[in-house]
Amino acid sequence: MSNYEMIEMRKKIGDILCEFGEKDQRIYVLDSDLAKSTTSAKFRDTFPDRFVETGIAEASAMSIATGIASEGQIPFYVNFAIFVSGTAWTQLRQAAYANANVKMIVTHPGMDNGPDGATHHANEDIALVRSLPNVKVLVPSNIKELKQAIKMAIEYDGPVYIRCARDVVPDVEFETEAQIGKSTIVEDLGNDFALIYEGTAAAIAYEGFEVLKEKGYKGKLINIFSIKPMDTDFINNIASTVKGIVTVENHSIIGGLGGAIAEVIAQKPQHAKLAYVGVPDVFTESGKASDVKAKYGLNVNNIVEKVESVIK
Amino acid sequence: MIDIKQLELIANENRKKIVQMIYKAKAGHPGGSLSVIDMLTAIYEMDVDFNSQKRSKVVLSKGHAVPAQYAALCSKGIILEEELGTFRQVNSRLQGHPYTVDIPETDATTGLLGQGLSIAVGMAIVKKHDNENNHVYAILGDGETQEGQIWESLLQAAHYKLDNLIVVIDYNKLSSSGPVNEVINLDPLSEKLKAFNFHTIEINGNNMNEVVDALNEAYTVKGMPTAIISNTIKGKGVSFMENNPKWHSGALTDEEYNIAMQDLNRAKEEIQ
Repeated sequence: MSNYEMIEMRKKIGDILCEFGEKDQRIYVLDSDLAKSTTSAKFRDTFPDRFVETGIAEASAMSIATGIASEGQIPFYVNFAIFVSGTAWTQLRQAAYANANVKMIVTHPGMDNGPDGATHHANEDIALVRSLPNVKVLVPSNIKELKQAIKMAIEYDGPVYIRCARDVVPDVEFETEAQIGKSTIVEDLGNDFALIYEGTAAAIAYEGFEVLKEKGYKGKLINIFSIKPMDTDFINNIASTVKGIVTVENHSIIGGLGGAIAEVIAQKPQHAKLAYVGVPDVFTESGKASDVKAKYGLNVNNIVEKVESVIK
Repeated sequence: MIDIKQLELIANENRKKIVQMIYKAKAGHPGGSLSVIDMLTAIYEMDVDFNSQKRSKVVLSKGHAVPAQYAALCSKGIILEEELGTFRQVNSRLQGHPYTVDIPETDATTGLLGQGLSIAVGMAIVKKHDNENNHVYAILGDGETQEGQIWESLLQAAHYKLDNLIVVIDYNKLSSSGPVNEVINLDPLSEKLKAFNFHTIEINGNNMNEVVDALNEAYTVKGMPTAIISNTIKGKGVSFMENNPKWHSGALTDEEYNIAMQDLNRAKEEIQ
């Protein structure tokens, strides 16, 4: 995990949707005036009759997606994470209740939309979405996983939420096929610690893992991929194997990846100590995404400190 | 040829089912169910063929009026008469608001007001894309039009020229806390809808002749969606409920139930 280029996953959303949309006529794409930014504009230009522009009306867009799904089609609502999970939450909730076959690809998660500031930072979306029954929550960490997530979303009958980084992520590929409800060990050097990351925090997790390696700690780097359903047996097994677990997320430490892991392992009589790297219980601010992330918890020092705190 | 008298008789039977369901459940929304049932009966009887793969769909956006939908579906043979007594009880298919997982023929899961018209827009977009020869109905409450999402979806429906979409506003003039226009004024409603590029029809929604005429007119409209402002009486058909805001939601005593059934039996004789 040391030699890789950085790449923007978001730029591939439109291409991937076009690829699947070519083969599967049931695929519709919905946009709320951000098609250029999310790259769904490529689908609009390729399949205009299956592209639905809703205007700046996210609540209605989510319900329109539900209506499209109820006619046997497969709608993908592509928009910023804050709008899909936040602005349209009760619409998503009613879609989830109906187990509607709606798919969401959300961009600009966490602090990825750095300069726009706290209004546009989606540091609560995992918490908002994973509390809804029926919804699958996937957090791909690279382009191959994004494509697999979209493929699985098409094959699965029910609501799927795919969180796609706006910021750069390491351009790597894992041999294992991503699966709903499965997590994977990216690198396994020993049982000192496990560093578990969600996809949009991959870059800082890899950096942190390298520094810990240099410092002589031998741990495991774990790609969660599927936040819901969670790979609970795998996580419990990790929690009984390593000394300490640190979660890394581009999200609030309340209700996100760290919270989800805690909910699982806390039910066991014995488990590794757990610490969280992510945004503390505060609103963030404007700045370059990497600067904002560094200031609000997503930095290598924080990862190293948290790992050292759980293995002592 | 549509037999108006026959539709009136079915609507009256549906009214009885509504009253029976809510009496048995000791909870529910009789006022808005009774006001909308003439329109709902006409739509289901005239235009919804459950034996057809590609059929017209009915989204009951004012989901609290679900007793009206269950009654109409019962008359269509989708819900069994003996099931009606389980409305709002644990382990029943008949949830307090429409739920497609249990009863797919309700067409849309609703209950949170304001969302059903958007769902109907989504359905209508697909049906238009597929050149289906049928309709999507969105049945809205008058108070429900105070929801912002309604106006989002009105813009979208007109933008996409969804002439297969028929929006019905059940304008019974009362919402949960009293006269709807004292809560927040909706008028002039017809002018608003015209300004939103809807073909707008205003009728007495408790007059079956006018209901049928409005639907037939809507079927001929091209290039724009239709909105039917259906002026109705909340609690229509049950003497003590009519225009009484108390009956937005509530349970009936044995005595009230008996009076209601007497009213509806008398109405049946008058139709015949």
